[in-house]
Amino acid sequence: MNRLIFFLPFFLIFLIVPVPVSSQVLLRMIGPEDIGGAWAEIIDYFHQSHPEIKINYISGPWSTDERQNMYIRSFLSGDPFELVYMDVIWTAKFSENGWLLPLDKWLPPEKQKEFLPGDIGAGYYKGRFFRVPVRSDVGMLYYRKDLIPKPPRTWGEFEQLCEQYSHPPDRYGIVFQGMQYEGLVCNYLEYLWGAGGTLLDEKGNVLLETPENISTLGFMKKVIDKGWAPKSVITFQEQHCLEFFKKGRALFMRNWPYAWSVLERSPLKGKIGIAPIIHKAGRESAGALGGWGLGIAMGSKNPEASWRFIEFATSIESQKILHMRRGAVPSRKALFNDEEILKESPHYRDLFEVLLKARPRPVHPDYPRMSAILQKHVSALLVGIESPEEAALGMDRSIESLLRGRKKPWPKRLTLDYDLHKTLINTSLFTFLSVPFEFLLGLIFALLLDLPFKGRSFGRLSVLIPWILPTAVMAMAWQWMFNNPFGVINDLLLRAGLITNSLDWLSTPEGAMFSAIFADIWKTTPFVAIILLAGLQSIPKELNESLSMDGGGPLMKFFHLTLPILMPYIRVALIFRIIHAAGIFDLIWVLTKGGPADSTRTLSLYIYDLAFRYDEIGYGLFLTLLFLVALILISFIIVRATTLKYERITQ
Amino acid sequence: MKRILLYVLFILIFLYCLFPFGWTLITALKPTDEVFNLPVTYLPEEVSFENLNNVFYKRPFYRYIVNSLIVAGGATLLTLWIASMVAFRLRALDYQKAMRVQKWTLIGTIIPPTLLVIPFFIIMKKLSLTDNYLGLILSYTALNLPFAMWMLHAAFRQLPRELDEAALIDGFSPMGILYKIIMPLSKPSLSVTAALVFIFCWNEFILALTLMPSETKYTVPVGIAMLSGTSVYEIPWGEINAAVALTTLPIILILAAFQRWIIEGLTQGAIKG
Repeated sequence: MNRLIFFLPFFLIFLIVPVPVSSQVLLRMIGPEDIGGAWAEIIDYFHQSHPEIKINYISGPWSTDERQNMYIRSFLSGDPFELVYMDVIWTAKFSENGWLLPLDKWLPPEKQKEFLPGDIGAGYYKGRFFRVPVRSDVGMLYYRKDLIPKPPRTWGEFEQLCEQYSHPPDRYGIVFQGMQYEGLVCNYLEYLWGAGGTLLDEKGNVLLETPENISTLGFMKKVIDKGWAPKSVITFQEQHCLEFFKKGRALFMRNWPYAWSVLERSPLKGKIGIAPIIHKAGRESAGALGGWGLGIAMGSKNPEASWRFIEFATSIESQKILHMRRGAVPSRKALFNDEEILKESPHYRDLFEVLLKARPRPVHPDYPRMSAILQKHVSALLVGIESPEEAALGMDRSIESLLRGRKKPWPKRLTLDYDLHKTLINTSLFTFLSVPFEFLLGLIFALLLDLPFKGRSFGRLSVLIPWILPTAVMAMAWQWMFNNPFGVINDLLLRAGLITNSLDWLSTPEGAMFSAIFADIWKTTPFVAIILLAGLQSIPKELNESLSMDGGGPLMKFFHLTLPILMPYIRVALIFRIIHAAGIFDLIWVLTKGGPADSTRTLSLYIYDLAFRYDEIGYGLFLTLLFLVALILISFIIVRATTLKYERITQ
Repeated sequence: MKRILLYVLFILIFLYCLFPFGWTLITALKPTDEVFNLPVTYLPEEVSFENLNNVFYKRPFYRYIVNSLIVAGGATLLTLWIASMVAFRLRALDYQKAMRVQKWTLIGTIIPPTLLVIPFFIIMKKLSLTDNYLGLILSYTALNLPFAMWMLHAAFRQLPRELDEAALIDGFSPMGILYKIIMPLSKPSLSVTAALVFIFCWNEFILALTLMPSETKYTVPVGIAMLSGTSVYEIPWGEINAAVALTTLPIILILAAFQRWIIEGLTQGAIKG
């Protein structure tokens, strides 16, 4: 121990003093896993020509949302990742917050002309240029040339083709990105534009409670209800759609251009055609503009070096590497006439036209939150929780309240905040369903473990295990156990004959809530059991015996002796459990992320999002405070309610 | 008959508590392909260390472990150091007074960390300690201090006061008494407290997620929660289970080593709060 104390100061100094670094400039960027090695090759070339700069490409999670959060957390922490590899839709928010360095001085307008106009436009925010496009993207429709005579133009034609040529479950009509994430919003907006609708008008008014929107949502719902799209489409992202389509199990697929080169290397080679997104008769369609670009984080130490890398990474040569190795669509116009590329991808001539017509998603600093709201309601529609009318109303109100609520004082905002009300309901549901079961099971465990038997201490040890294991880590284990179809829980139930088909535990609202509650009960029952056990052990043996001699049965003993003595222990455990169940975060964040359709999103997740995703720390803190006050009040009520009469007198 | 029924019940409880961990272990030891076999196999057809290997060679898992060890280890040392000094001081007070102090500090521990994450983040940012081991160590110390104080105070108080007086006469300074007499005599309590504080820090998620944003500073739980493939469909479940098993196994070992004292300590700590 003495030695420990001696070393402690050294240990702390070691932590504070930064380790000396070499003179090389280190620049970090986060991107998706580098399949095909395109980035490795580009960075390699760059290192050869710029030995003084070292690029560290960090492979982030597949979820672009998660990568965005990583960037935001790094900006907030004051040590930003220098190179910001960002989706089109992050630009407005990042620039609005002053997290990006304007790039106008390095890339003046005459040089910008070499890129696709839509991609450049998406790099502007409030008149300044922040993001150089690396790769462009646009939503489009893939179809089976060999099965369908002519690609559909309108919704009506599409429905006919589906009726005629699809026969689920072997071959569905269409697969699209139906999971609750940004991709779903792209799909939805494309239909909305195709119906003549739009999200915001020029003045920034929300235009979602409209016939156009309702018919759009109705159409999407119809696609699911009629079985044209498989039910599991609500868990699909791009990759999953592609796998499904590649196996020949769908006539159409909505996807991005990268899918083409994958399909050309599959058995479907030569059987695939591409077409613009379908639209309502008499309207015009537009694909959602996507794509990735590079920017420089404000406050990064060496912007010149960062720019040199950006210049290199957006050059013709680099874009070619990205195209060849990864199927990325270039953002430089010149490459669409490039012999080498056209030889490999003859469809680029058509693609160029689609790209010129591509429509950006709203450029608004609050877009990420609007998108989250849209995702939630479209997802709720597809899952069947909301009707088209309800979804249209819900999204309109939510976005409206977001845009208006921002300007309102916080107390007023409480009444407008749709998300708050929803998460409050979920939190109460979770708390009041999990805590009673924990107590019931905990009491049974405690009563059993109190009995004298061989191996009792071993039993107590094993009971402790769920409680002592890290929640976030075990949530991952639960996610695996609830997996469909590979999860063990489905398998056990199937073997027991309790269900006939694997259940989708985590992608239905009830299933997800049940899974979360189940995992929470598993984790916290031991805590309750251990505390109650301590209470049981404090019951004097003589009392027990004398009550038996007076002829008290076990039930009478339980209610007149055990329960009253346990009361103080129950009180402590109850307060502790209710507070912690209401504040649940780790388990749900890892297990369901609050989904599907926000059905398991609790108050803590909402507050966390407010503070660290929507950067409204002030409002988040305000809610935290109210939450704390509420918890204190609840604790007082519990203390009052569980204090027995005689206890009050003796006190 | 009654005994058999009882034992059946015990075995059920035992299975219920251990199953998720056991299942993780089984999955981790399957070869990568067998993980996705249908129907699910309950005993691996062959035991393979492929997943365990991948966790270390394909992913920076050792880095997460080092981070976690630094943070949890640092926080444990710091917590014990401060807590033993405070507990020593509390021991000098009369019992009623000391209990009052303890009661108030323990109220702080009941607040769920979700409610503390924003204030902690703001403070650490002001101190420029985000993305810094020290920031997380200080936060964990603050969270675990009341509990450690409680445990150590209870232990120190069991030692007779005459001991101090004798030591004073022998020429020990007050700190000398703490380090040379009290602490060596309370070794069992110190090690149990250390074990528990270490486990709490090792397990903590939300603060680690928020205060350490860069990937090279992830602790084990955050690293595992972020483990993912290139798409939803390619989540590397074999590797995730291997990582989960590797993270949870040491905790179970610590628990087994200290089981008797841990149960005692936990009940005391939880109830008197």
